[in-house]
Amino acid sequence: MAIVDDLKTIEEEAAAGIAGAADLAQLDQIRVAVTGKKGSLTSVLRGMGQLSKEERPVVGKLANEVRGRVEAALEARKAELAALELEAKIAADAVDVTLPGRRPAVGHQHLIKEIMQEAEDFFTGLGYVVEDGPYVDTTYYNFTALNAPEDHPSRSARDTFYVVDPSKDDNELLEAGHNTDRLGISELLLRTQTSGVQVHHMEAHKPPIYMICPGTVFRPDTADANHLPQFNQIEGLVVDEGITFGDLKGTLDAFTKAMFGEERATRYRPHFFPFTEPSCEVDVSCGVCHGEGCSFCKHTGWLEILGAGMVDPNVLENCGIDSERYTGFAFGIGAERVAALRYDLPDLRMLVTGDMRFLEQF
Amino acid sequence: MRVSYEWLNTMVDLPADPHTLVAEFVRTGTEVESMEDTGAALKNVVTGHVLEAVPHPDSDHMKVCKVDVGAKNVDADGNPVPLQIVCGAPNMRTGINVPVAMIGAVLPGDFKITRAKKRGVESCGMCCSGRELGLDGDHSGILELPEGTEPGQDFAQWAGIGDVILDCEMTPNRPDCLSMVGIATEVSAIFDEDTHIEHPQVREEVGPDAHDLVSVRIDDPEMCARYTARVVRNVKIGPSPEWLAKRVSAAGSRPINNVVDVTNYVMYLTGQPLHAFDLGKLSEVDGRRSIVVRAARDGETIQTLDGQERQLTPDTCLITDNGERPVALAGVMGGENSKIDEGTVDVLLESAVFQKGHISRTSRGLDLMSEASIRFERQVDPEGCALVADIAAALFEECCGAEVCPGTVDVYPGKAAPQAIRLRPERVRAVCGADIADELQLRYLTRLGCTVEPTFQAEHRGRKVDAYLVTPPSFRPDLTREADLVEEVLRLFGMAEVPSTIPGAANHIGGLTVDQRRMRLIDATMRACGLSETLNYVYCDHRDLARLGMSEEGRGIPVQLMNPLVADQSEMRRTLIPGLLRSVAYNKDHGVADVTLYEMGRVLFGKKGKQLPQEETYLAGVLSGASGVQEWNVRPHELDFFDAKGIVEQLLETLRITKVKFKPADPARYGWLQPGRAAELMTRDGQVLGWVGNIHPRALKAFGIDDAVVAFELPVARLLKLATDQLPFQDIPTLPGVAVDLAIVVDESVTAELMAQRLTSAGGKLLTSVHLADIYRDEQRVGVGKKSMTWNLVYRAADHTLTSDEVEKAHNKLVTKVCKSTGGEVRA
Repeated sequence: MAIVDDLKTIEEEAAAGIAGAADLAQLDQIRVAVTGKKGSLTSVLRGMGQLSKEERPVVGKLANEVRGRVEAALEARKAELAALELEAKIAADAVDVTLPGRRPAVGHQHLIKEIMQEAEDFFTGLGYVVEDGPYVDTTYYNFTALNAPEDHPSRSARDTFYVVDPSKDDNELLEAGHNTDRLGISELLLRTQTSGVQVHHMEAHKPPIYMICPGTVFRPDTADANHLPQFNQIEGLVVDEGITFGDLKGTLDAFTKAMFGEERATRYRPHFFPFTEPSCEVDVSCGVCHGEGCSFCKHTGWLEILGAGMVDPNVLENCGIDSERYTGFAFGIGAERVAALRYDLPDLRMLVTGDMRFLEQF
Repeated sequence: MRVSYEWLNTMVDLPADPHTLVAEFVRTGTEVESMEDTGAALKNVVTGHVLEAVPHPDSDHMKVCKVDVGAKNVDADGNPVPLQIVCGAPNMRTGINVPVAMIGAVLPGDFKITRAKKRGVESCGMCCSGRELGLDGDHSGILELPEGTEPGQDFAQWAGIGDVILDCEMTPNRPDCLSMVGIATEVSAIFDEDTHIEHPQVREEVGPDAHDLVSVRIDDPEMCARYTARVVRNVKIGPSPEWLAKRVSAAGSRPINNVVDVTNYVMYLTGQPLHAFDLGKLSEVDGRRSIVVRAARDGETIQTLDGQERQLTPDTCLITDNGERPVALAGVMGGENSKIDEGTVDVLLESAVFQKGHISRTSRGLDLMSEASIRFERQVDPEGCALVADIAAALFEECCGAEVCPGTVDVYPGKAAPQAIRLRPERVRAVCGADIADELQLRYLTRLGCTVEPTFQAEHRGRKVDAYLVTPPSFRPDLTREADLVEEVLRLFGMAEVPSTIPGAANHIGGLTVDQRRMRLIDATMRACGLSETLNYVYCDHRDLARLGMSEEGRGIPVQLMNPLVADQSEMRRTLIPGLLRSVAYNKDHGVADVTLYEMGRVLFGKKGKQLPQEETYLAGVLSGASGVQEWNVRPHELDFFDAKGIVEQLLETLRITKVKFKPADPARYGWLQPGRAAELMTRDGQVLGWVGNIHPRALKAFGIDDAVVAFELPVARLLKLATDQLPFQDIPTLPGVAVDLAIVVDESVTAELMAQRLTSAGGKLLTSVHLADIYRDEQRVGVGKKSMTWNLVYRAADHTLTSDEVEKAHNKLVTKVCKSTGGEVRA
């Protein structure tokens, strides 16, 4: 039967064509030529009508088989070619991955702010609130309420910036740099510590009090490598029933580890501050020598970082808090001091010049 | 306070190793600044005996010596071997005893002794002069030691100059520790052991009673709590005995003569400053030398014994002789007219206590800090005055050959009864958080000099507890309350011994407030927009606003410092811009061309007649230069107005602040901004929310900047007030929209805002998005004074898929309306 031979020939030719197709386009041409509307196989099938009743099922079956095989071969080759083409495309797409990436310009947070926020995060985790108060305050909040004696040297114009009081007429202006040891030349000042915020807070809130007050403070120190006339403190205050010196230690131990690392030890040295009693200074073990003694810690193995103590009963009473029922602790740490210790900064003035090369390192 | 270990050891038994004491001092609150071993410089210096000294073969003045240094130099079998030393001293000779610096010694001045050859002869050490050992200035020859001095001894030990000096820093609440007796008491409490302090006593009192020779009157008792005077006669001024000179030098004073040294010694010993007047130079009143203590008068002067003429104020306490003539600045410095000199025979010895505030202000005011003023300003114990005068009198007798007159003139207006303090050991335990037994607490306090009266019952936190009456010693003015005793117990017990605990959080919650969280969000947004944070001085130059061209209107009056450190930091800032411009200039001057900075900080506005200023937080940013460095795949652009505006828009979006308009800033009110490139932010209800724009080239010049700078400044409080956490949710459209581009040519005067408005209102309900895709200018194709704006418009209905007819109808209507209302033409 010629038609059977035709089918065989078609299948053979199609198989050869499919195998030899170089790309998807060629393959498609074959598909059209064989199984398309005017394809060779389709024409054969169309010619079925001329066959006898007996031949028709035989040839029909064979034709369908041929069609199925051809289509399968087309599919298989198509997958093969698609994989090859993808491979080729991928190969052509390759780049030098060592070329620098396209980075979005992202800014940096100031390292002092970062340190203050770290402290905020630590203490809010312990259930503290964060407060800030006025930069310009009265001598009462900055000194008197904090138990600083009336003739304390820190009240002198050499240690405190006093501010013109616009509600008074007799303000006296000193020539720049001509500071004196005179005390209290105005009732108004730039806060020299954030402790006044604690007083404001105690006046406004009843215990339990758990708060920190990170903020900027001002002192007449000429800017040099180790001093700035403006720096940042992080002070904290707890007033509650049953607060002990042990609570102060436990809190500051954990804080120190959070700020400097788990392996750092603390040391508590009795000290004197007017607003706390007992008072102490807190040292952290040197991160360079780990307590062995080196030039960074001046061969002591320790670095002084915090002042702290149990809130003096006078301070509590000044704020209307029953000092017999409530006890508390307070502490203060300098953010610049933390920065200097962490990064071994050679000159604190870098913190205020706005040098992009410095700021972008943090 | 310099503490001699050797001296202290005579008063209380000290540990053999000074480091042990230092560690205990640190533990209990006495800071030790430094520890100096005075004998260390003389390490490897030994006593030697010159066995022979023969002339050097090649020198006419040097000698080759054999010096016996005993067991300090031995052979392999341990037998002493003399050292060969070449010495050029004129007094070198056989048989004398000398100090020998052996090889390895490092003499004062970092002079290292090494093996050397002197004109071919080996020399193994050096025989030393007094100057070479740092003992005195004598360099005429080697120091000859007494006959019979055993060779081979450690020289410092032999000479008794080996001592350890601790430089202790005392906190201002501990005046008692500015004395050896006070330090010894502290040590006795630390180690729980007795002191053994014996003060010298006057052997024989002769002559008239002091009351017959001297009268004392205190006119201003507020200035002087107690004044005691003793008289010693026939003083023989001369050098101090060696022990006295040594103690005074160890304490940090240069030995001067026996009279001065005794007064200094007694001050270091007891903490009580003394003053010696030449009795003969004081005026007589009614046959007695007179002392009147009074406040100085305005305009009064005194010549102090350093020769300076000092101007006084009524705040100064003065010692006068007849009530008129000043003879000493009380507690600070003596007068020239009454000072001890070579001719002094009789001495009036003052042991008095002056009020600390006056002394502190006087010494600061006159810039006259002395060992005496330092002690007075921290408070001296008036109870001790008379005893101290006795000690001094005894030493005048012993060291100055003086005759001590009987009697002490003693005027004591400030006598106060000792105040007992109620101590509840339970309270101490409760405050410390440590289990410190009653007995231990009382033992600490007793060792510190307190007296303790037996137990009674008192209240503590609703319970009856044991209590004691504790009377602190008069030399501890810092102990007045139970809290002060808590501190004493805690520091002696040891802070390290207290177990660490963390307070429970049963009764409180904390965390950041909404505003604090939003301020962090502002920080984060600024960073995400590429700005780095800086923190500038809150101080500013009083000329800053004028330089900038910023008016004072709405910024109150400046907060002025009364005592500025420098003229350009004499006020507090009222805008963040000058500080940021200085940072821009700093960067440009240092080769950093691209600057993108922001600051969130406080500005202060004073108000006339109002005491406290208004303090506000502002947010400001500056951008200058390019958007970054050129990369192989990135082309940066010059930062301009729209970069700054985009950051502000982004911030508003982050804070969910809607309906803020950017209006052209009125040059009359925004003098610091470049007209035409500046916008004022206006809220829906007409509130100004800050500005964004190019800084005016004139202002830039005033701050030394040549490149363009764009900036913005926004009041944070207003931002926070308008901010919301989240806008209402809008459902995501499920049906497709139809995008249509419209290019329309309009006059330059037609703003983008106006166009957007007209498009939105003309588009009706179906127009869901209006977006400006391009602006094109071309005189030929678009026309002069015209611009072509291409808008991407999206039409969409919420309830069905739009047909092309619907879109076409809506769009045609929009085009007609917009062209009409804006005078625009659709560009083909």
